[in-house]
Amino acid sequence: MEKALFAFWMILLTVFAYSMMTRIYKRFSYSFLIPVLTATTLIVIILVLFHIPYEDYMIGGQWISSLLGPSVVALAYPLYKQRHFLINHLFPILGGVLVGAISGMVSVGLLSKLFGLNQSLILSIIPKSLTTPVAIEVTRGLGGNASLAVVGVMIAGIFGAIAAPAIFKFTRVSSPIGRGIAFGSASHAIGTVKAAEYGELTFSMSSVTMTLCAIIGSFLGPIIVWIFQI
Amino acid sequence: MKILIILLQTGILSLFYLVGTIIHNLFDLVIPGSIIGLILLFLCLCLKIIPVTFIENGAGFLLSILVLFFIPATVGIMNYSSLLSFHGALFISAILLSTIFTIGAAGIAGQLFEKKAEKRKDEKEWKKPYSHSG
Repeated sequence: MEKALFAFWMILLTVFAYSMMTRIYKRFSYSFLIPVLTATTLIVIILVLFHIPYEDYMIGGQWISSLLGPSVVALAYPLYKQRHFLINHLFPILGGVLVGAISGMVSVGLLSKLFGLNQSLILSIIPKSLTTPVAIEVTRGLGGNASLAVVGVMIAGIFGAIAAPAIFKFTRVSSPIGRGIAFGSASHAIGTVKAAEYGELTFSMSSVTMTLCAIIGSFLGPIIVWIFQI
Repeated sequence: MKILIILLQTGILSLFYLVGTIIHNLFDLVIPGSIIGLILLFLCLCLKIIPVTFIENGAGFLLSILVLFFIPATVGIMNYSSLLSFHGALFISAILLSTIFTIGAAGIAGQLFEKKAEKRKDEKEWKKPYSHSG
């Protein structure tokens, strides 16, 4: 009973932190205020203050996490709504998505080998450009650490959403298709949330790209590990 | 009423996730169960096996608060204070550099492919009126 009550409090804390930070972000909309960053920081501070270990927090947190799987399935809905759009732009989308998926995985694999990271760290960051639930399962399949993978995915997502506007300026990428593909293939769902600020087309592009990258990435991960002999 | 519809449709989405996970375990596939569920649902929608009205409210709701479902996993970063070491800094730099590279490469490639596709479309439209004169 006490455990159920505690779980309830942890769920409430998460939902509260999320809705409060979302409201603050909508009010001020600075890149560094994105809710996943601010809400996470707030929750970590509260957990540390009250000496609650992460494992205990997850008694409640896992209930929220359990909706990740159905949410990935739900991505079929925007993909279906955009099927005509997808077919009309099939060549740029597939081309861009392949470049994005391959460059994301190959570059991080090469860099981490160059930096001399140990095997378990490398296997955990290979899927860093994929959406969280997919990255977790790809990492497990490769033999990496799921928690580290989530950290990598979050860093790629948050940093990508913050840095993308400057990179677009520098590389002169102004088309909604190019921007959407960049957001979706480098920064998954966090990038897609940010892409919504650029308009409907960029958002659609990003969500289609994220979904296609997740599918391609789950095949590509094992191949890249095999090629680089990690 | 709206809440009931969302709950029911979330149930349908969970069912697809469950079927995907079962297929994943049964055939020992590399693709995660959630992705298999996604592909199955997409096919069912395209083939009109399931009308889109059966899932649109639930899917729209889940996706509108997607970030919330990520937060418990993100909080796990608190267990990795070891990331504040030299190796952690390398780990983070590899991700940052790769992300910059990916955004640049994917953005440029997407824009380039888009222009090429447009040019091809334009050429097709231009060729038509000239074809019978030349």
